[in-house]
Amino acid sequence: MLDHINEQELKDRLSLIESMIAEGRRNTQSWGWTFVLWGVAYYLAIGWSARGPSVWAWPATMLIAVIVTVVVASVKAGNHPGTTLGRAIGSIWIALGISMSLLFLALGLSGRLTDQHLFAAVMSAILGMANGASALILRWKVQFACAVVWWVAAVAACFGTDAQSTIVFLAAIFLCQIVFGIYCAIAEAQKRKRRGPIHA
Amino acid sequence: MPDLPELNPVVHGRLRLALLSLLSGVEEAEFTWLRAKSEATDGNLGAQLLKLEEAGYVAVEKKFVSRKPQTLYRITEAGRQALTEYVQALKQLLGPAMDA
Repeated sequence: MLDHINEQELKDRLSLIESMIAEGRRNTQSWGWTFVLWGVAYYLAIGWSARGPSVWAWPATMLIAVIVTVVVASVKAGNHPGTTLGRAIGSIWIALGISMSLLFLALGLSGRLTDQHLFAAVMSAILGMANGASALILRWKVQFACAVVWWVAAVAACFGTDAQSTIVFLAAIFLCQIVFGIYCAIAEAQKRKRRGPIHA
Repeated sequence: MPDLPELNPVVHGRLRLALLSLLSGVEEAEFTWLRAKSEATDGNLGAQLLKLEEAGYVAVEKKFVSRKPQTLYRITEAGRQALTEYVQALKQLLGPAMDA
């Protein structure tokens, strides 16, 4: 049966297998919108706080972001199959969401969310941990670069003036949430566009 | 010269190969997800999945979720073995051309 099968066709089959396995396992790139959503949520919370001290700025914004994420994710997840890899990545981000929500809700309501250096350092370190763990599991250099930016922001937040600390934190949000989120969304769209139908 | 391996005709079909590869990376998948990933038509997809099911390479589970019918497909151990053997046969056939 192999007489009529040429070398290129065999290579195409191998390539098809690799791309389909990767397609099944790919999860994180479909989540680009959440990075953008949370980036916008951080900016809104920072903007709200900047208008005057408010114990509700961070708790309220984070709560709304959690609700939007859960609702949109449950709609989008729909028929997406589960994978061990997907569960591992999902666990990291769910644990991050719970940790940040509880910590900043408690800090906000107790009125102890007053040191902006400490706040930016803790938040950047937590985000660096989540991005770093996800990047190491996925062996994804772009996301690891985001983790490095967060770690740099965490260290930088401990030094410098209030203005410098704020600028570094805002820049990290822009790069690692907005730009990275848009990059993920574009990469996902391009991948969908490139791949044509598979015929029997 | 060593004998060239035979390619399993059930796995060799392009869409069937894509479906087995997709299912090898997930625990189970809905018909609609497989259709979206393969961009195949309902009829073609259903026919190829049936061939894989008849060969014992995929297992099917039908259930209702919120009163809507849901068909789930899962690769079997035999299917995983067949895919592994197919890849090995491909690599053997390509030989030195693999790196070209």
